[in-house]
Amino acid sequence: MKGIFERGIVCTVFLTMLFAGPALRAQEKQPAKMKASSIKVTMIESDEIKLPAEFQVSLYEDLIQQLQKKGGFQHVYRDGDRNAAEATDLVILNSTVRGFKEGSERVRQVTTVAGATSVNVHCAFTSKDGKLLLERDIRGNVRFFGGNLRATYDFAKKTAQVAHENFSPSAGT
Amino acid sequence: MVLRVWRMLFGAFLLVLSPFILASRAQQPAAPTKVVQITGLTGVKNRTKGSLAIEGGNLRFAHAQAKVDLAATSVQDVVTGNDSQRLIHGTLGTLTMFAPYESGRFLSLFRTKLDTLTIQYRDADGGLHGAVFTMPAGQAEVIKKELIAQGAHTSVPTQEGSDNSSSKAPNAKEQKP
Repeated sequence: MKGIFERGIVCTVFLTMLFAGPALRAQEKQPAKMKASSIKVTMIESDEIKLPAEFQVSLYEDLIQQLQKKGGFQHVYRDGDRNAAEATDLVILNSTVRGFKEGSERVRQVTTVAGATSVNVHCAFTSKDGKLLLERDIRGNVRFFGGNLRATYDFAKKTAQVAHENFSPSAGT
Repeated sequence: MVLRVWRMLFGAFLLVLSPFILASRAQQPAAPTKVVQITGLTGVKNRTKGSLAIEGGNLRFAHAQAKVDLAATSVQDVVTGNDSQRLIHGTLGTLTMFAPYESGRFLSLFRTKLDTLTIQYRDADGGLHGAVFTMPAGQAEVIKKELIAQGAHTSVPTQEGSDNSSSKAPNAKEQKP
C-alpha cells in the first residue's frame, strides 16, 4: 500500500515536470520588451510588387486600427503626422510588400480549397534615428471566407500581435 | 412711340426672367451615389453603407447617423478599380451557404460587378489617411473626374488627362478587371 502511494507521488512529480518544463522554458526564452510608448506607421511601399491601390490603403488603415486596438501603444501616428516629431520613445514601422497573390472570392466559395489571397509584407521597426530594432516577414491570408481585402486584416492582426509582444510603454516588462 | 413702349416692356420682361436663367445655367450638383465605405473614413465604421457626392468642393459621405466632408484639395490620390460580389450577399448570402445539395456554391457563381474608389488624403496635422469605397459599376470614374475637377490629385490620370495629375506614376494605368 505504501509502495503504491510512493509510486503515485513519483508519477505526479514526473508529470508535473514534464508539462511545466516547456512552459517555464518558454517564459525564460521570451525576450524583454523594448520601450516604446508610441508608433508611427508609414504608408505601405510596394516598389517591386504591383499592388492594387485598394490593397495598399487597406493594409495601411487596418494596420493602424489593429495597432490602436491591440498594439499596446499610447499613440499611433500616421504617415506625415507633425505631432510625431515631439513624441518620446517613438518607433517607426516601415512596411514593404514582398509578395502578393490575388485569389478569387468566387473560386473560394465554389471550391473551398482554391483561390486563396495572400500578401507577404516585410515589416521593419526602427527607432527615431533610423536604428533597426526588429524586422519580420508577416503574411496575411484569406483562404475560406470573406473578400480578398480580408487578407489585409489578417496581416494587420498579426503585425499588431508582433508589436505587442516586443514593445511596451514601460521597458523590460 | 408704341414700338418704344414694347421694347421697354420686353426689356423689363427679360430683366425679370434673368435670375431664373442664371439659376438654370448654374452647375447642378451631381446626384449622390450609393456606396459602401469599406475602410478609412474617420468616425465611420468599416463596411458602412451610405451615399457619396461632391458638393461645394467637398467629397461628402452621408449615412444614417452623420455626414463626413473631405476637401477635394486635400485628396492626394484617387484611383479606381474593379471588384465583384455575390448577387445574393449579406446575411441571406451567408444563409445560402447552408442550403442543401451545395446550392450555395452554385449561387456563388452569380456575381455583380463593382467599382472601387480608393482615395488618399491628409488631415489637418498632415497625417495620411486612405479610404476605400465600393459602388455600382461605372460610377467610380465619374466621381474621380469630378474630384479632379475640384482640385484633387491622381497618380493615374483619366483618359482626357488632367493638369492636376502628379508625376508620381506617369505610365501607370487604371486597374483592369
